[in-house]
Amino acid sequence: MDVRLSEEQEILRKSARDFLSDKCPRTLVREMEQDEKGYSPQLWKEIADLGWMGLAFPEEYGGGGMSFLDLAILLEEMGRVCFPGPFFSTVILGGLPILDAGSDTQKKKYLPDIISGKAIFTLALTEASGKYDAASVKAKATPDGSNYVINGIKLFVPDGNVADYFLCVARTDDKAKKAEDGITVFIVDAKTSGISTTVLKTIARDKQCEVVFKDVKVPKENILGELNRGWDVIQKTIERAAIAKCCESVGGMQAVLDMTVPYVKERVQFDVPIGVFQAIQHHCVNMLVDVESSRVIAYEAAWKLSNGLPYSREAAMAKAWVSDAYQRVVALGTQSHGGVSIIEDHDMPLYFRRAKAAEIAFGDARSHRKTVARELGFKVA
Amino acid sequence: MDFELTPEEKAFQKEVREFLDEHCTEKVVAETESMLGEGPYSKELIRKMGARNMLAPRWPEEYGGRGMGFMAETIKVHELTYHRGPFPLDGVEIGNTLLMCGTEEQKNKFLPGIARGEIEFALGYTEPNAGSDVASVQLRAVDNGDEFILNGQKIYNTEAHFSEYHWLLTRTDPSAEKKHRGLTMLMVDLKSPGITIRPLVTSAGLRTNEVFYEDVHVPKANMVGEKNGGWAVIMSALYGGMGGGSSGASRFHFETLMKYLLEEKPEIAAENPWIPDAMADIYIKLHLIDVIGLRASAMSDLGLATPYDGPVSHIFGNESRRQFCNVVMQILGPYGQLAEGSKYAPLRGVFLRQYMDSPRWTIVHGSSEIQRLVIATRGLGLPRK
Repeated sequence: MDVRLSEEQEILRKSARDFLSDKCPRTLVREMEQDEKGYSPQLWKEIADLGWMGLAFPEEYGGGGMSFLDLAILLEEMGRVCFPGPFFSTVILGGLPILDAGSDTQKKKYLPDIISGKAIFTLALTEASGKYDAASVKAKATPDGSNYVINGIKLFVPDGNVADYFLCVARTDDKAKKAEDGITVFIVDAKTSGISTTVLKTIARDKQCEVVFKDVKVPKENILGELNRGWDVIQKTIERAAIAKCCESVGGMQAVLDMTVPYVKERVQFDVPIGVFQAIQHHCVNMLVDVESSRVIAYEAAWKLSNGLPYSREAAMAKAWVSDAYQRVVALGTQSHGGVSIIEDHDMPLYFRRAKAAEIAFGDARSHRKTVARELGFKVA
Repeated sequence: MDFELTPEEKAFQKEVREFLDEHCTEKVVAETESMLGEGPYSKELIRKMGARNMLAPRWPEEYGGRGMGFMAETIKVHELTYHRGPFPLDGVEIGNTLLMCGTEEQKNKFLPGIARGEIEFALGYTEPNAGSDVASVQLRAVDNGDEFILNGQKIYNTEAHFSEYHWLLTRTDPSAEKKHRGLTMLMVDLKSPGITIRPLVTSAGLRTNEVFYEDVHVPKANMVGEKNGGWAVIMSALYGGMGGGSSGASRFHFETLMKYLLEEKPEIAAENPWIPDAMADIYIKLHLIDVIGLRASAMSDLGLATPYDGPVSHIFGNESRRQFCNVVMQILGPYGQLAEGSKYAPLRGVFLRQYMDSPRWTIVHGSSEIQRLVIATRGLGLPRK
């Protein structure tokens, strides 16, 4: 066993960190929180030119031919700086599912545009229940000649306001015995008539949206994967997204630890640095334990997925753990900083908000512990 | 042993409750929930309470109180915060200290006005380099005969922008061998020339302030306690017996959430069997906050307060309330992250605001770490070094 990064991965990490510390300052992060689109088109182009969107895609589509694990390293660096914009949505929720399940025609049509930064994708899955399970998919797609017609309301769709395409998950057979059967994924052009999007005001000021599909016509050739077998694609997508979110979260947690330790060494109260006090030392230690445990569990899951090994249990364990750990780290980081870190202008609130959003995305700790409990043999509803 | 309120306390509770049921209107609540300070409706409510001698029930009648005990104070705080009225009322807190440390002139000048709700105070302890280490304050007060001249800065003085007076801890002796022996407590008219108040905003949208002092003149008559005796004033304020905490606003929010879960969205609890257990746990903790707080008050009234009653109440209360916020956010799931004004935001996003504000609760007015230090050293007698 060897948890070291390869030389290539170290270069990737360093170059990403250097680029982001230059091009993604806090001022940009805050600006994008208030921005209508939520991302900088110029920065988007720059990271496309660096090959970031295409990192984990085959060279035949213009990609870098690297692995999911390499992408995880990049995501960690993005999490570290609270990188704004639809990178996660486009690559993890759009591009990789198309790579998994797309026909040759679909891959040739969509992947180059994703890789070049020309097209923004996202996944329209969750509905009123807010859950990531098959039974919650109520949006319907009914056949109509050479098309399907989609009706339904999707919620918490990340970057729905800027997406060029949605992977829309709808029910095509409501007589199927199991909820997982009878679901189909459609690649939907966002300009199709009948789609209306409203940005929801969220804690992390990320652009999660309500997307209403009203009599939206989608050509049959835009089915991703097989008719009625869409949940196979989505199950894998959610698990992979959960792992990716964990790796991004590890970056955020590390940033909080990296800002807290120097602070408590410098901040003097009672004539000594507060880092001398055992209470503060224990806070920092508890943060480190959470960061390191999260790092190893997230990367184990990423490595397994990257190497074609079974990873569902590891994905659930990682997301269950990291969902809560990130929030613990921010809580202790805030407590160690005291009053200065509750002021809006401080960096800590950026992570506080994102830790909550990361907990919720792709299933919170409880939902993933249920998965683990089932794996253990418990009968869990 | 007796866990009942006395008939007098019950009558006071009923009186305050019925008064606030009528007068703590939606407009007052809106000001509280805005986290921008005591607005005009809040001030009006405070004056109405003052007119009924409700603000400072512990004080002697001659100063506008009712001669009751700490129990009455805790009952008042519970009702006021449960109704989501303005809180804390630092004027009353400062008045409690003046009762113990002030001159007769000061008591006569300030207490009736505070009790009537006409004089509000802002706490003026914290500076950029003096947070938990409050004895490190540097704001300089130079003795100039019958007045002091003040220069320096305070930070996180949250009440400054809506208060009449500043309860200001100053340094009068920069060369004191032990720094806490060079401090003097002053009461400063916030309309004095030379004071600049600059707003700061927390991540929850709460308004606080930096306050700058530039050659501000303060008459010596406004010195509380002795010159260089400010530390003793703070110690009496902190350890002279106290009302305990209460579940107040958290209890109101708990009840709101229960109604939501039982009536509006019963499917949430039905689909998530952990929720009833979690809510029962929170209910127990809210109850504990109240009984711990009442116990602290009852023992203070008997002259039997311990140094750890206040800190225990403080950490138990604030840490439980934070836990409640975390549980609520998990119950609301993805909807919990929606802010007020967003489509689909549950209960006007009020729980999100509470959640965003919650990290502050274990930091201000004595961080959890400092409270534990007090309990450990003054309570358990554990050695300092």
